[in-house]
Amino acid sequence: MSTWQDLVTASLLGTERTGVPRSGVPGLPLLADAGPGAPDDPAALLLARAALLTVARRGGRPAGHAEPPPAAEPDPAPAVSPAAGRRLARMLGGEHPDLLAEWLTAAVARDRRVPAHLLPALLDRARRVSQSDPELRRLSAAAGGSRARWLAGLNPDWTFVTAHAGTDQNAWRLGSKSQRRDYLTALRARDPAAARDLVTLGWDGAAPERVMFLSVLANADLSLADEPLLEAALDDGNAEVRGWAAHLLSRLPGCALGRRMARRALGCVRIDPGVLGDHLGDHLVISPPVQWDVAMRRDGLSPRGEGSLQQLDDRTHLLLEILARTPLCTWTREFARPAEQILGLLPGPRAPVLFTGWSRAAMAQRDQEWMIALINWALAGGPTGTRFGAETLRQLARRADPARCARETKASRGAEIPSHIRDAISVLRFRYDMLKELEP
Amino acid sequence: MSVPQARVSSVAERWDRERVLALAPDVPSQRTAQSLASGRAWPATGAGTGALWGECRGSGAAPYRAVVDLSGPAYQCSCPSRKLPCKHVLALLLLWADGAVRDDPAGPPGWAGSWLMARAARASRAPSGEQPEPKDPRAAARRAEQRESRVASGLAELDRWLCDQARQGLAASQQAGYGHWDDIAARMIDAQAPGLAERLRALASVPHSGAGWDGRLLEEYALLHLLAVAYRRQGELPPPLRETVRSRIGFSLRQADVLAGGQPVRDHWQVLARRDLEQDRIRARRTWLRGRKTGRDALLLGFAAAGQPLDDSLTVGTDADADLVFYPGAVPLRAVLQAKHDDGDGGPPDGGPVAGLLAGYAAALAADPWLDSWPAVLRVTPARAPAPAVRDGDGDALPLHPGAGDCWPLFALSAGRPVALAGEWTPRGLWPLTAWDEDGRAVTL
Repeated sequence: MSTWQDLVTASLLGTERTGVPRSGVPGLPLLADAGPGAPDDPAALLLARAALLTVARRGGRPAGHAEPPPAAEPDPAPAVSPAAGRRLARMLGGEHPDLLAEWLTAAVARDRRVPAHLLPALLDRARRVSQSDPELRRLSAAAGGSRARWLAGLNPDWTFVTAHAGTDQNAWRLGSKSQRRDYLTALRARDPAAARDLVTLGWDGAAPERVMFLSVLANADLSLADEPLLEAALDDGNAEVRGWAAHLLSRLPGCALGRRMARRALGCVRIDPGVLGDHLGDHLVISPPVQWDVAMRRDGLSPRGEGSLQQLDDRTHLLLEILARTPLCTWTREFARPAEQILGLLPGPRAPVLFTGWSRAAMAQRDQEWMIALINWALAGGPTGTRFGAETLRQLARRADPARCARETKASRGAEIPSHIRDAISVLRFRYDMLKELEP
Repeated sequence: MSVPQARVSSVAERWDRERVLALAPDVPSQRTAQSLASGRAWPATGAGTGALWGECRGSGAAPYRAVVDLSGPAYQCSCPSRKLPCKHVLALLLLWADGAVRDDPAGPPGWAGSWLMARAARASRAPSGEQPEPKDPRAAARRAEQRESRVASGLAELDRWLCDQARQGLAASQQAGYGHWDDIAARMIDAQAPGLAERLRALASVPHSGAGWDGRLLEEYALLHLLAVAYRRQGELPPPLRETVRSRIGFSLRQADVLAGGQPVRDHWQVLARRDLEQDRIRARRTWLRGRKTGRDALLLGFAAAGQPLDDSLTVGTDADADLVFYPGAVPLRAVLQAKHDDGDGGPPDGGPVAGLLAGYAAALAADPWLDSWPAVLRVTPARAPAPAVRDGDGDALPLHPGAGDCWPLFALSAGRPVALAGEWTPRGLWPLTAWDEDGRAVTL
């Protein structure tokens, strides 16, 4: 008896050119090609025999064989709450994807795991953005636990999950730039002094190498032991290295650069008790620096802004940069009042400049007191109506502790709420719910 | 009044945000609704008797008035948006999901109450919004006769076309464009046999579906030929099989007739899986159910124009205590939901072995040879070697459908251990749709 494949071959050629194979189901009589009830057209006979075999083959299909991979080792850490998992799914679907790192950081801090079915989308995302954000790869691997490592063994796209351990000395000596960076990041977290020694040894290499060293510090906790290296880097021949050094020093409490900045800043902003008989009372008097000297340049100050700051004149931009690098305790000590009272003294026209300068300082120094005072001031209608003011609010809404921020606007009833304020509130509410869902 | 009283006796169980957001017609609506879902934008809201209402401050002087009937769900809003549901309705639902809408013992205000009353009145008149009872039985009989003769000549033409293909050989099909199938499909539309037209249009992609395309095309031609023969000889067929043949051709029964002609089956129906398909600007939703007591499988079909919401009254992973009425047929699978009495959390289904699925499919095929989508509820471990597949505890494996993609979420969920899995078994492989995680929660794949 002929087979299904014979029928397929015959159908490809056509019954004009070939006969109809005698294909049937074993155990059943063959559909006859002659006699009562038989089709007189060979083409119809072929289709009839094919129909019978199709149904027989579908119904009689045997089970196949397959070899599942070895099971993943169980993960002792529990998964996040269902609500947190649903929010992560939404974020992976495109809602506030810039907050993924915060979600993952909070999950890792509480030793909770990403729901298994979301890991493939998360790992794909971490792989895609790894160039711009190596931190997301590290966080995804940590929050993915043993399940993520198991998946990495099945899909070569995700090997970064297991390669990320960063303990292999060879990675430092022979690895690619990103492997070297991973190694240094891991070492810095484990043993900051050893990481510093490694950097000092390699400091005389090419400038991109030094930039990589400094960029690793951007995600690390800094200490005064890092200051000598960073202070020396302010005199580096490479502008990018100098920029990184100034940026990192402005985050480091108690360093010399901070003291230099504080001196400059106090020359620009002072408190005026107001004229007798005038109802003004205490207010801030602002006088931007008159000149840009060599020492300012060495500390990374530039009179020309980028992006939305291009609209500022040179002196105002210098003022903003000085404020951004000045330790915030300078103000609370000098003016002897807390941040929100200082903000109450802000003068009108220069308010967005001071707001942005102080906000940058608060974000660099990770100072929640100031961040919360600043964002609440802005949400209550503080004048942020410049492009850079709105951008600053956008950044603050992503960093300030949402539990301590106003999540409703106090703008007057009926008035149209500016979109940057509405957006900031929606981000704060999103983060507030997100962090609440991640609580154990 | 035959409105199911159980639904409206108390405020419905609160939904979660996920379920609300799933109603949104698109992602931008989800976003704007979430930014609108703040107390400030809603000076007045209330809930009660299975409904929600609220006034939302918009850009104009008059507020937008949104009202939701949760039993449908159905929505109404005074805003000009043509999206359904609009952002105001979604925002109101989100507020409710967050617990920010209070029950109002005074009941809905007039503007909401009148819409809700009108809906209740409509619901008591007709079970659904389809065509009314034919008015003139003689004219209806004449139209039915005309259609019968059109379908008969259409099927004769289709059978000639099929035989022509087999005579001239299928080898030429790989060079044929879509028009080759669209032309004959269009003639089946003229012949009032839309079921055939849909099957024929789907064939255009077969010659480009990779190795084995010739066999797959022959299978489809052979089954269409079988359908033409079966229609020609329908007088000799037992009535259920005759119904199957006629429904495959495209004679559709009115839901009202199905409800009138069938015996309702009440059970705790597990909502196992859902699959949405879009074809020719029509969205179709297949919802697979299995009765906890009867063990019966059921398929609910819903249709909507593109951009319109599909019926969302059943949520995957829940159980619905409901009456279903099955369409007549050799393998009664398709059903219509007559009434839902209650719903609640469902646990994972009892997944069976591969052998049981294949035996069930074989038995069903013996009754309905055109059946190409069969509910699968398995307990299996996914495997990647030698090809993507699932394997049960007996070592029996089934391939995954090539169109289902790499199925990484299914692999991640299982981690190399058996999971409960629901999907559709087709001649090309298993299409996985829902799996249950370690905590027994349904995950849509």
